[in-house]
Amino acid sequence: MSPLSGIRIIDLSMGWAGPLACRHLADLGAEVIKVESCVRFDWWRSWEATPEWIEQDGAEKSTSFNMVNRNKRAITLELDQTEGKALLLRLVGHANAVVENFSGGVLKKLGLEYETLRAHNEQIVLLSMPPFGASGPWADFRAYGSTVEHASGLPHLNGQPEDLPVMQHVALGDPVGGIAGAQALLTALRHQRRTGQGQQIDLSQTEALFPLASHGILEFSATGREPARGRDRLNASIHQGVYPCQGHDEWLVIEITRPAEWTVFVETLNLPSHLSQPDTGPHHPDLRTYIADRTSLEGAASLMETLQRQGIAAARTFSYSDLLTDPHLAARNFWQWKDRAVVGRQPNPSAPYRFGAEPIPVNTPAPTLGEHNAEVLGGLLGLSVDELSDLKARGIIGSRPRLR
Amino acid sequence: MPSPSQPITPSKSQTASGQALDGIRIIDLSGTVASAYCGKCFADYGAEVIDLEPSTGFSTRRLPPFTDFGDPPLSAMHAYLSTNKRSVLRDELTEAAWANLVDRAHLVLTHNPNQVPAHVSTLSIDWFGSGPYADYAATDATLFAMNGMLKKIGPAEGPPYAPTGYQAQFVGGATAYLPALAHILGCEMGNETQGARLYTSLFEAMLCFTEPAAVAFFNSGLDTDRMGINRFPPTYPLGVFPCADGWLGVTVLTPSQWQSFCHLLDMQDWADVPLFQTSVGRLEASDLIEPRIRDALTALSAEALFYRAQAARVPLARVPTMGELFEIDQFNSRSAFADATFDQSSIKVPSMPFRLHRTPPHFGGPVPRLGEHTEHFQ
Repeated sequence: MSPLSGIRIIDLSMGWAGPLACRHLADLGAEVIKVESCVRFDWWRSWEATPEWIEQDGAEKSTSFNMVNRNKRAITLELDQTEGKALLLRLVGHANAVVENFSGGVLKKLGLEYETLRAHNEQIVLLSMPPFGASGPWADFRAYGSTVEHASGLPHLNGQPEDLPVMQHVALGDPVGGIAGAQALLTALRHQRRTGQGQQIDLSQTEALFPLASHGILEFSATGREPARGRDRLNASIHQGVYPCQGHDEWLVIEITRPAEWTVFVETLNLPSHLSQPDTGPHHPDLRTYIADRTSLEGAASLMETLQRQGIAAARTFSYSDLLTDPHLAARNFWQWKDRAVVGRQPNPSAPYRFGAEPIPVNTPAPTLGEHNAEVLGGLLGLSVDELSDLKARGIIGSRPRLR
Repeated sequence: MPSPSQPITPSKSQTASGQALDGIRIIDLSGTVASAYCGKCFADYGAEVIDLEPSTGFSTRRLPPFTDFGDPPLSAMHAYLSTNKRSVLRDELTEAAWANLVDRAHLVLTHNPNQVPAHVSTLSIDWFGSGPYADYAATDATLFAMNGMLKKIGPAEGPPYAPTGYQAQFVGGATAYLPALAHILGCEMGNETQGARLYTSLFEAMLCFTEPAAVAFFNSGLDTDRMGINRFPPTYPLGVFPCADGWLGVTVLTPSQWQSFCHLLDMQDWADVPLFQTSVGRLEASDLIEPRIRDALTALSAEALFYRAQAARVPLARVPTMGELFEIDQFNSRSAFADATFDQSSIKVPSMPFRLHRTPPHFGGPVPRLGEHTEHFQ
């Protein structure tokens, strides 16, 4: 038994944020049915599809898609056709929630707004997660996870004074929006469980980044001043720096959070003794040069260990390959290895929370396009084999992408 | 003594049907940014969240930035994290009062689950969780180093830049809400039993940003060195550009977006260049493309271009400064910022990013003084 056993979610979302929100619910035990179109398939499979890509099973080779859709079942339905839409609405009758992150106006164009869903299921929860929220003058505007980072203002808080505003990631808004989406769903499902009431949820992915920018937002709110890029770390630490180590592109992040750590740090790095006073040492104009001169003689991994043994927060800058071989993650069985059609054995990241020592299991890898058409439409909706064949022949369901 | 399930001060947003998390009680013994944000999400949706604080108060009370009110001045960060919560001084509770309080909690946020009776559920939000790094020291910045993100941020020649603030703890606090509420809901559904021990690792929560890249690396064996400020695979143009009236954020991914973008910038001659039709092709040519884009944008209005681009379905956006955030109609029309109140003063803080229509969250709300609610529970 899992926490959310008995809850069923219809996942119409694509890309990263929406599917991640549903992945969390799936990991927690909800039955998630991902609904795609063979024509307008999840764009994380590809945004540049070609006939060759289809021929070579490209749709099943997107590692990003596969990473974010495990523990789900998948069907296809052409929602712009009457029968496809009717089948979806029948599924809604058996579901607790529907999740969508279509561009503004698409849900309405498909005739699948909340009022329509509600007519088929009084208790349904509908989560919409547009980039700027479902109300306001920008409600229909488009964005990627990068656009969301732009609009949050967060890039103004990173970098040096002479820099442009500095982005952190190619799609920062997506994973954060996905977590917020899962929070929103759980909150509404709890109300649904207690009262039998459904509702709409409006999630703004840009507003979901405001907590990450809150140190800057609150600085302005409290003082009326714009925080200066780079001059002000905007936290309570005594020292923070990124220092070079031996090897190509090897760096160590060091952060001293308490005065008691300062003297230990100066001694451990064998820095000049005139830096050892916690009230003056951190402000010495040549401090960073002194530290860099020391760290550049050392390997990042060994210096990280040396400082950590003294209780100082130090971390080597990991590469992606380091994540797959990291001993801590390995000891925790964080990467769960599963065979997946077309691509073979793949690492799946565990949910970042546990209900005991072991991770929540990845029971099934990401489904292939339409893999569970028969199981879901036949099982849950009771369609016959003949009806399924007919739907397939007329292109309402399928298991291969088609170009528009 | 008031019923513990009542909110402290009902806010305007509260509706007749109550709030989504009515009747849930959470106790926070940890007092970190991560646990406080997890608790805040519960409190803003109507749960009773009690900060059980030491006599010196949680460390969040001493985090910058500070307001100019309160004695000592109130931490704006603490205010943001503490709306709609209660503050109780742990040392002023009798053993019986403490036991009674904890006994009726649905979940206790603590680093030391052994301090909590076995029949009460706990959630530990730790930097690493059990394993080889269990005793490692960490900060928000060191987790950006360890999740693989930091190496890609900043100038190509280095040093890479550490993102600022408490971002790892906010990501982790939001993440921790998921097992917390799933467990409480699971208990109500008969799927779970009380007395569970839940754990969230901030390190693993931060892997949300890099897990696709790590899995992609497993399959391709390819990684790229840091490419420079605002350059990230798999696409270009991407970045933040100066315009005549502020900063513009640019993302162009699909062929049709590239063509529209070229028209917006009066660079039609590049719209159909074959090399520029794919995201990777443009990324490879970014040193060629960038000067022309930069020149074109310098003379244009970011505000005007934003609306023209959105009309053409190209996802451009202003990159507002902190002050500009408070002036944007989109955010103000949604009450994206609301008043956290403390005694007679208030400060604008971000509202909950997700809005349940029927059971809305509190927008802003009261911030408790240290120990303000102790006597209710003595």
